Amino acid sequence: MSITSDILRGHTEAIILSHLLEQDSYGYQINKDIMKKTNNAYELKEATLYSAFRRLEQAGSIKTYWGDETVGARRRYYAITDDGRKAYQGYKQEWQEAKKIIDQLLK
Amino acid sequence: MKEKITLHFNNLFTDAPKTRKALDLKEEMIQNAMDKYDDMVADGYSEEDAYHNVIESIGDVTELFPEVEERNLLTLSEKDRKKKAMFTAAAVGMYIFAGAVFFFFGLISEITRSYRYDLTALGFVLALLICIVPTVMLVYAANMYPGYTKREKDDMVERYKEAKYSSNKEKAVRKSINSIIWTMALILYFAISFTTYNWNITWIIFLIAACVQAIVKLIFELKKHDNYFE
Repeated sequence: MSITSDILRGHTEAIILSHLLEQDSYGYQINKDIMKKTNNAYELKEATLYSAFRRLEQAGSIKTYWGDETVGARRRYYAITDDGRKAYQGYKQEWQEAKKIIDQLLK
Repeated sequence: MKEKITLHFNNLFTDAPKTRKALDLKEEMIQNAMDKYDDMVADGYSEEDAYHNVIESIGDVTELFPEVEERNLLTLSEKDRKKKAMFTAAAVGMYIFAGAVFFFFGLISEITRSYRYDLTALGFVLALLICIVPTVMLVYAANMYPGYTKREKDDMVERYKEAKYSSNKEKAVRKSINSIIWTMALILYFAISFTTYNWNITWIIFLIAACVQAIVKLIFELKKHDNYFE
């Protein structure tokens, strides 16, 4: 499991971008959806999630804004930018190639 | 339980830079943790289990502040600390040895009553020469803090760290100078008192030492003042 999570961790940014392609979201929501999609098999650590946010923001792949919740706490929302979409396409292509090569080698 | 979660985050963020951004980040992470905790309790988990699960899922927050790791430069490593302690101990030992040499020569001249050579003066010069070694050692030990290498970012945090670093170093130097002053005063007090038996007057050495210490402090303050205006 530790190897699996190491491999997955290397793709945290791609996973987040993929998620933000569907809709703008906030930290906990993203993590919750990741758990749902993987049937609770994978959950990002908070710190991993937020350091990925930081890198994505620095790279200009995402932007943030404050939500206008009327009930409960105000939330910071994350949205993908055009640069982010491009980066995501790059990630995806790289992954497809890597996957093909690994599949060819591990038979 | 919720207070415990907040408390846990406060502890995790003690080393974080005190910036608006870091504070916002902490608030956001606490909010996420609270949401998760509420969801788990609503799903039927016990409060205890929910708490542990939430804490477990925080992960390593140091990766959020890569610049903070450098803070460790301000404190000495275990090895250097041992080395520094050894230097200080050896230096103190040498001061005592110097005092003993002076005392020994004084005693010899007292016993032999040899006035052909002034052995007390010879002892004093020898003791003073011996004192050079531990003084050098103490100054070296005080300067053992590793040099601060600046990173590419020239922001407030960097400046703060640099200021803290130089004040740490200054404090160490001042401390060692003070210890030298007082050890010397003590040695001189006993050495002179035993050789001259003027116990009624020699206590004045301590007043002189206090005076010297005040002067050193003044010099440091003036220097700091100069730096401030540079």
